[in-house]
Amino acid sequence: MIPLALFVVLGPVAGFLLLAGLPVLRRSGLAAGVVSSAVALATLVAAIVLLVGVEPGAAPVIAQIDWLPHQGEAFARLGVRVDGTSAVMGAVVALIASAVQVYSLGYMASEGRPSIGRYFAWQSLFLFSMQTLVFAPDLLQAFLGWELVGLCSYLLIGFYYQKPSAAKAAVKAFWVTKFADMGLLTGLVLMRWQVGSFAWEAVQPGWTATAIALLVFLGAMGKSAQFPLHVWLPDAMEGPTPVSALLHAATMVAAGVYLVVRTWPLFEASGVALHVVAWVGAITVVVAGLTAMVQDDIKKVLAYSTCSQLGYMVAALGAGSPVAGLFHLTNHAFFKALLFLAAGAAIHAVHSNSIWEMGGLWRSLKGASLLFLVGAAALIGLPGFSGFFSKDFALEALAESHLWGPFALALGGVALTGFYVGRVVVVAFFRRPAKERGRLHTPLVMTVPMTVLAVLAVVGGLLGGPIAGWLGGAYHFHVTPEGLTATVLALGGLGLATWIYGYEGGRRLVVLAAPAGAFIRSGLLDRFYETAWRQGLLVVAHAAGWFDRYVVDGVMNLVAWSVLEGSERTRRIQTGRIPDYVLAVVVAFVVLAAWGAVSGMSGCGSTP
Amino acid sequence: MTALLPLLLPLLVLGVILLVLVADLLLPATDRRAVGILAAAGVAGTLAASLAISPSGEAFGGSYVMDELTLYLDRVFLAAAVLGILAAIDHADRHFPTRQGEYYLLLLASLAGMLVLAGARDLVLLVVAFETAGMPLYLLAALPKSPDGRSTEAALKYYFVGAASTAIALYGLSLLYGAAGTTRIAALGAAPVSPLLFVGVMATFAGMAFKIGLVPFHFWVPDTYEGASTPFVAFLSVAPKAAGYAALLRILHGGLLDHHALWLPPLLVLSAASMILGNVIAIPQGNVKRLLAGSGIAQVGTMLLAFAVGTAEGVAMLLFYLAAYVFTNMGAFVVQSVMGEHAASDDMQAYRGLARTAPGLALAMLLFLLSLAGIPFMAGFWAKLQVFIAVWHAHQAALVILAAVLAVMALFYYLRVARAMYIEPPPEGAVAPVVARPTRVALIACVLGTVGLGVFPEPFVRSALDAAALFLGQ
Repeated sequence: MIPLALFVVLGPVAGFLLLAGLPVLRRSGLAAGVVSSAVALATLVAAIVLLVGVEPGAAPVIAQIDWLPHQGEAFARLGVRVDGTSAVMGAVVALIASAVQVYSLGYMASEGRPSIGRYFAWQSLFLFSMQTLVFAPDLLQAFLGWELVGLCSYLLIGFYYQKPSAAKAAVKAFWVTKFADMGLLTGLVLMRWQVGSFAWEAVQPGWTATAIALLVFLGAMGKSAQFPLHVWLPDAMEGPTPVSALLHAATMVAAGVYLVVRTWPLFEASGVALHVVAWVGAITVVVAGLTAMVQDDIKKVLAYSTCSQLGYMVAALGAGSPVAGLFHLTNHAFFKALLFLAAGAAIHAVHSNSIWEMGGLWRSLKGASLLFLVGAAALIGLPGFSGFFSKDFALEALAESHLWGPFALALGGVALTGFYVGRVVVVAFFRRPAKERGRLHTPLVMTVPMTVLAVLAVVGGLLGGPIAGWLGGAYHFHVTPEGLTATVLALGGLGLATWIYGYEGGRRLVVLAAPAGAFIRSGLLDRFYETAWRQGLLVVAHAAGWFDRYVVDGVMNLVAWSVLEGSERTRRIQTGRIPDYVLAVVVAFVVLAAWGAVSGMSGCGSTP
Repeated sequence: MTALLPLLLPLLVLGVILLVLVADLLLPATDRRAVGILAAAGVAGTLAASLAISPSGEAFGGSYVMDELTLYLDRVFLAAAVLGILAAIDHADRHFPTRQGEYYLLLLASLAGMLVLAGARDLVLLVVAFETAGMPLYLLAALPKSPDGRSTEAALKYYFVGAASTAIALYGLSLLYGAAGTTRIAALGAAPVSPLLFVGVMATFAGMAFKIGLVPFHFWVPDTYEGASTPFVAFLSVAPKAAGYAALLRILHGGLLDHHALWLPPLLVLSAASMILGNVIAIPQGNVKRLLAGSGIAQVGTMLLAFAVGTAEGVAMLLFYLAAYVFTNMGAFVVQSVMGEHAASDDMQAYRGLARTAPGLALAMLLFLLSLAGIPFMAGFWAKLQVFIAVWHAHQAALVILAAVLAVMALFYYLRVARAMYIEPPPEGAVAPVVARPTRVALIACVLGTVGLGVFPEPFVRSALDAAALFLGQ
């Protein structure tokens, strides 16, 4: 079991080192991609074998070496921890990464050869980093993986670094998540200081548990794009679409959710933290869902949708159900990766991100359209599709824990989901196209991974039982009032969107219901939100700027002045004359000897 | 024969000295490059032997001991010597081809002294070993004789200040003997506390502090580093520091740990002074060798902190710091030797645009600088962090904070070099400096050490902890 886990973690790093260390291979273009994808597929096989081998409810198997020994217990360790949670997440990550890498062989084929090599090198590094985080036996190693995936995210968002917007987006993502990571790091230090361990299970009840849990959650909010730290995710869409699918939809952004699942004892010990988690998740569901309704860029719709769906996972955690969180994480990984890849196929064919420039894709791009529709159905949560089961389970958890506020928000979010998905589907796939185009083509190497994901997006609901088993919980599907309500709401949202964007009458409704329609269409909400955020940020920035200019700079200038002044003086002491130097030695000796004599006198007569 | 087994490593080095002597006589005066390679190979072989053997007990009736501490320090000295010789081969062959044999002989003699010093448990043997290690360095500082007399000046400054310090140290040791009535270090602690004993301790410390380059015995450091040949400075900046700490460990921790409370305060004062003044010296420097000299004074000050707290943890972290320092600091000086040779000046301007003309060399230098600054996943990071932790555990929080603040300040001057390499454009018509093969090997070894200790410090920390725990009997 341990060798398998080690292979899952370390296999990709071998791929990365091959690509990074052999310039011939890296510059060979697709050959680099084939190597990287082959490694990813091999780790996928290993991860699945590993997952199947994990007995539900079995104790975790841990293998670790001392990384930094210390007197007594080691200060830091490295290793792997295999249990239900890590095995499930590891398999999901390996699966999505393999699918995305194979898909990229087709999607990236038109890039320059060195770019392809670079792309796959980062992909391998990402997979290694993510698995380091997933299989981490303690919080410290997880933090290392966490920072490494952040680095990979930065590199991959900025993949088209010649494009200023991509470079800017990469930097923005980096800073926002780094800000959140400061919280996580503080939590780590606090944990070591107060609890004396980095172990996942390390808890000390009381204020420390709450403080550490909230700090860890701050880190999770950054990575998992939770309100109000979600602003980096839409910009991150500047990266290549497969990257968006892997990092910014399925795996990396889910790392925050995973982190909370892992540090579960900490959150369980703190009721306050759980409430905060539930509310943040639910608010994100609605805010991101509303914003998704007015986006024109298909990737941005999906990006806000990702925030919103992550909100469900986070809210489920807040409701005290890590099983629901991880269940929805798994299903979301399947269908959202599928949606991104299918959207990528559409973008690839149409050469535009705008849904208004697509139109009629159902006719011209049958295969990818069908796949997108499957993903859309799962996302909305149509009965029978995977999202239906996991989203209902999350809602059920919220209801059961009597968190009615977050529950209401999450339920409202279902209608929003139905609406924005319906809007994209109708406008991009069924509306009459702006200009006629012939049949478009998607390469087989792109279709196959999407098909695999599509199958999983359909049957993902069946995974509820096994996942619950691996996590030591229980899941049985049953019809609930909240589930029925959610389905009705989703269909309502979908129907409304279809009517508004698909039929003349609907469009008239928009005209009639001018205030609401215009409000949504104009993107005012989005702008209002952006402005509020920016203004808020400006106030903070001004305050920080003032503090920086007058306090920090003042102190720094004083320090710098005194240091430079001091340096000049010491330079003058450094005369270069030997007699001066010898004199200094003698004087120093005399002073030290006097000190010694005095301290010797003070302890005079005593023998140790 | 078995009685000499504990002295295996010094004896092997003596063997290498003989080989080098013979080879120097046999080879034609025009082509003696092979002497250096022979010396490097011999010391590398000794280093390999040191990794294979285990502590083998006492010699000279207990005056010398080969224990875990000796073995650890011996490995540090041997590694420093291999790197120092490798870095010097091309330089010696170019600047004093007929006399290169002398260079290696002197360096090896100093090495032999250090190897014995690490295990000295008697004041007499300690003094002999200390002087054997120290004397050749004065001569080496003068090699090669530079036309403007700078190397002679460097050597003379080093020698005169050194002579004064040695006199003080010997005076101190004689006082220790007077107070304790024995030259056995282990028996020093039994002596009653008296002004005599403590003047002796302080004088001994002052003498060793000169070798280490602690404030206020540091004045020779920038001048000598600037004037002496850079490959030699690489060795000088590391090995004698380790030797000074080895002697101090043997005397203060080995003999006078019971009086720790009395010698702790002055050491802490000197440590703080070294960290502050070292950084202050380095900050305005445009000369890279003087900059590294200032940085070195600050670094040994940090080591003194770990030394002074008097716990096994502190000793262990000092040992680890020394190992990290060998690769990191020597690496930086080796790069500087290449750059100084290339530009015929030690000015930082020579580094402008190096990342574009010689990316490999620039990257190596960047790694060394980051390690010196204590950036994570470089050897220097763990070294600093663990010293801080050890000192924190010893309830000297104020000094940890001071050291941490100064470490951040130090980033400023380390990054100035990095800035010159990576941000400033290369001057017109700049060409990549030539890196001779032995120098290249030394650089690669330094990079591997710096990164290796940074990524996986475990074995080194483990053996440092073991050595310290066994040494202090804790």
